[in-house]
Amino acid sequence: MTATPTRYGLVAEFETPAATMHAAARLRDEGFQHWDVFTPYPVHGMDKAMGLKSSKVGWFSFLGGVTGYTTGMLMIWFMNKLDYPIPVGGKPLFSPFSAFPPSYELTILFGSFGALLGMLFLNRLPRLHHPLLKHRRFALASHDRFFIVVETSDPRYREGETRTLLESLGSTQVEPVEE
Amino acid sequence: MSASAPTPAAGPLDLARWRNLPLGLMAVGGLGCLVTLLVNSRQFGFSWLLGFMFYLSLALGALFLVLMHHLFDASWSVAIRRLCEHLAALCFPWLALLFVPIALLAPRIYPWMRETGTTDHFLSAKAPLFTRPMFYVVAVFCFWIWGLFTHRLRRWSLQQDADGAARCTQMMRRYSGGGVVLYPIVLTLAAIMWVKALQHQWFSTMYGVYYFAESVWVTVATVYFIALLLKSAGKLDALLQETQFYMLGSLLLAFTVFYAYIHFAQYFIIWNANLPEETYWYVLRERGSWWYVGMIIIFGHFFLPFLALLRIDVKLKFACMLPLCLWAWLMHYFDMAFNIMPVLHPNNFSFTGMWADLSCLALMGGVLLRAFVRDCGRYPLYPLKDPRLGECLGVYHAPAVASTPASAAPPLGTAGAKPKTAS
Repeated sequence: MTATPTRYGLVAEFETPAATMHAAARLRDEGFQHWDVFTPYPVHGMDKAMGLKSSKVGWFSFLGGVTGYTTGMLMIWFMNKLDYPIPVGGKPLFSPFSAFPPSYELTILFGSFGALLGMLFLNRLPRLHHPLLKHRRFALASHDRFFIVVETSDPRYREGETRTLLESLGSTQVEPVEE
Repeated sequence: MSASAPTPAAGPLDLARWRNLPLGLMAVGGLGCLVTLLVNSRQFGFSWLLGFMFYLSLALGALFLVLMHHLFDASWSVAIRRLCEHLAALCFPWLALLFVPIALLAPRIYPWMRETGTTDHFLSAKAPLFTRPMFYVVAVFCFWIWGLFTHRLRRWSLQQDADGAARCTQMMRRYSGGGVVLYPIVLTLAAIMWVKALQHQWFSTMYGVYYFAESVWVTVATVYFIALLLKSAGKLDALLQETQFYMLGSLLLAFTVFYAYIHFAQYFIIWNANLPEETYWYVLRERGSWWYVGMIIIFGHFFLPFLALLRIDVKLKFACMLPLCLWAWLMHYFDMAFNIMPVLHPNNFSFTGMWADLSCLALMGGVLLRAFVRDCGRYPLYPLKDPRLGECLGVYHAPAVASTPASAAPPLGTAGAKPKTAS
């Protein structure tokens, strides 16, 4: 614990989704990088207003799926062909056809594991605490208020300027949050 | 509504540049068909059947898209609904007319029609269906149902263009409700009587679904292609937005997987059971170069489009999607050939037969394209007064202030001011 807590960022409160979206589009155009928007419900078009690129989670599920399929095929090949061969009805000991359904199921299972774990990893979750949770009014983000948070770590962050910018964008209240 | 102010897209589409294409196709195809008919009428019958089933899948797939649009009360597909209605309406009278050569040549195409007596157990077991009169009764029934539903759905849709009445939407929904029950029954009947019956001893409960899956797949690709053409011609620009292409791309991906799932399931069950009366259908299709046609279907019909369409941005990249839509037609041809042609050419895929196939495809394609283009020119290109048109355009109208106590919550009135999504 330090005696003088460092500043985490600025929390700007908005009353309407429209004002939030316009403000987000402005921050995007200004080139801010470490910032986020919090709304009580999904606001359509916010992704674009924030300039978010499509999520990387898809790659994790794809890799998970490929791993699952390969695991399934290799497992069945090893068990049925090498480890414990049981000849049935003159059929080949290993055939991709009979091995496909279980491999396909493993594809889906590992694919969903990949998606879940990839999402947690990219979101840096789980974590026990977040500076924003200390903010008194932030709980309203799950009720009827809209918040934009600009972090101090952003290269474009300037103490006074950013505050005036957020206020000029229609924020009703801009408050600092400590780390 | 925005429809009250006519936009350029609302007028008939100027297709002057394309006007000669159908005639050219008909001339070239007609010549090829005539030569084939004179040289080898059996080959002609099979090629004609292939071409007919190819285009029937387009009409039936389009009918499915229309039915789904109404049943799900969708908004995004308002933009493509009129195109689908025109495609579906090709069922009658055009496809019915194109069925006539099959009806005439049926005894030369279908081996079961040449069987005499009731010694064949496979025939007597399917007795009421697999008799000559029933073959024609089934054909009339199929075209009657398709004609009824495609034309009623289109008539109410055109009626709404005129009066904008909610009753039209209700009637279309009612027809869709009944249609979705009859659709799979009639489609399965057609797939069994016209394709599966080439080897009447064979049975597969998935055959109807199989034909359905490939039909919708190729139709979605075709609709994407037509939408792309219209977009690049500057027509329907306001309606054919990113959403429409993304949704069509997603449907194409979904049906790529669905088709592969159905075809694999059919193969897997037959492979696993290993009964001679079922396996012989696939044994025939693994002989000679048919094996490679099967491989083309696995890798070209499934893997290539599947891997290509996995990425979200490819579905919107026209440079990728245009070749993919054309590829879908090629793959659908191979798929139809895989189902029909091994009966005629049991040893190898016949390249000389392919010219006959192409002639039939060209002739029928010319006839149907002409009818489709004529319909597109005759009627507005989209449902002018569809209640979901605004949503499809991405325009949001704030709902009227409800009569609930206003003090309950500060009105989110400005929520209505959601900006138009930048295209």
